[in-house]
Amino acid sequence: MAGQVVDLYLNQEGTFNEWQTFLQSLGISNFSTTETSVIDETVGIFDGDRLVATGSVSNNVLKYIGVCNQNQTQGTYFNMIVTELLARLAQRGIFHVFVFTKPQYSQSFQHLGFSELAQSADGALLETGDVTIQTYLDTIPQLPGQSIAGIVMNANPFTRGHRYLVERAAEEADAVYVFVVNTDSSLFTTEERVGLVTAGLADLNNVLVVSGGDYMVSYATFPAYFLTSPEKEITYQTTLDARIFKNWVAKERHITTRYVGSEPRSRTTAIYNSVLQRELPPEVAVKVIERRSANHDVISARTVREMIAADDLTHLAVLVPDTTAKYIQEHLTDLQKRIKKGMKIDGN
Amino acid sequence: MEIKKTALAGTLESSDIQIMLSKGTNGIQIDLDSEVAKSFGDDIRRVITTVLTDFNITDVNVKAVDKGALDCVIKARTIAAAQRALDTVNEPAWEVL
Repeated sequence: MAGQVVDLYLNQEGTFNEWQTFLQSLGISNFSTTETSVIDETVGIFDGDRLVATGSVSNNVLKYIGVCNQNQTQGTYFNMIVTELLARLAQRGIFHVFVFTKPQYSQSFQHLGFSELAQSADGALLETGDVTIQTYLDTIPQLPGQSIAGIVMNANPFTRGHRYLVERAAEEADAVYVFVVNTDSSLFTTEERVGLVTAGLADLNNVLVVSGGDYMVSYATFPAYFLTSPEKEITYQTTLDARIFKNWVAKERHITTRYVGSEPRSRTTAIYNSVLQRELPPEVAVKVIERRSANHDVISARTVREMIAADDLTHLAVLVPDTTAKYIQEHLTDLQKRIKKGMKIDGN
Repeated sequence: MEIKKTALAGTLESSDIQIMLSKGTNGIQIDLDSEVAKSFGDDIRRVITTVLTDFNITDVNVKAVDKGALDCVIKARTIAAAQRALDTVNEPAWEVL
């Protein structure tokens, strides 16, 4: 008889240690605070007083799933853990769920109705639920033309640098998709970022601004973009992100070239660019555009955020187009309030 | 009847079935995942469709992950999911039961 699924409270030191020792015995080794601090809930199954299975959720992502199949039919505990986590997420109204796992466990999740989005030597990303990547792709209209460019940007906020990158793509390609990162983890909200990108590109008629959904640099597919993470972690996640772009987004919407800005400032983005160059060709070409400079320094959205924090907008117009400048001036107090409340401005 | 929100019922454990209902626009669309789909897929779809039709649900996306459930289990899980999706959990649909 299988045991009951119970809550594990990882903020209790004894529980945390038992949980960590159990997962380590199964080969899971990353217990950095950036990973463990974002866990919302953890459940486990005990056989007597021995932990034999566990799983956690963070937002809409399943994490730290580990099962010992000793004395038990293969899959029983695993199915119980995944059922419990999906039911708890459903209670919170979350039905679209992702899991990062080792490639050898991809099949086990597929048996429970998950579909694989991408796989690499180090990991696999799967999803399940009421929407799929196909549902997302169906919402994006097909742009006409032979050469179609794709750009992914967080645009926190939209600068003259972003504008320059899109202009270059719009000159060289027949049409351009601009995918705006859809995760609300930046100073400017997703709605604000999409609004400023759309306003700042309104005069370019071969450019379409769309949401990056859950599939491009989202909190689900690429958490390291939003959290400080070790290089290995970033490479692992960006490889999957790049493969999703190539095998789904670019394939489905016939994107031939991905444009990126050269990246002298952000380590995470620099790694991302090099992974894109390794993963996307030959099906999708990667064009790195030299970053635009102003006042002898590259234009960076981070500088704009620092200006907001420092309450000094003297040089704002050099860095951002009029549409963004106007928005910042009108909402300055509100943006500064967010920074005071603890919104980080030094990340992405 | 219109699906008001996505709803989930059932488990992924042996002899059970997990049913997820969400808004659809193109009739009753069933995405069935089952080891016995070859032999019993049509029967499973029929049981689900019958329950949904009894609830007057015409447009819905169904994701069903079957782990060898009997018809009575499939029916019970579909009813539970339908009542949650229609937000009528407190008004048992006697004519369907």
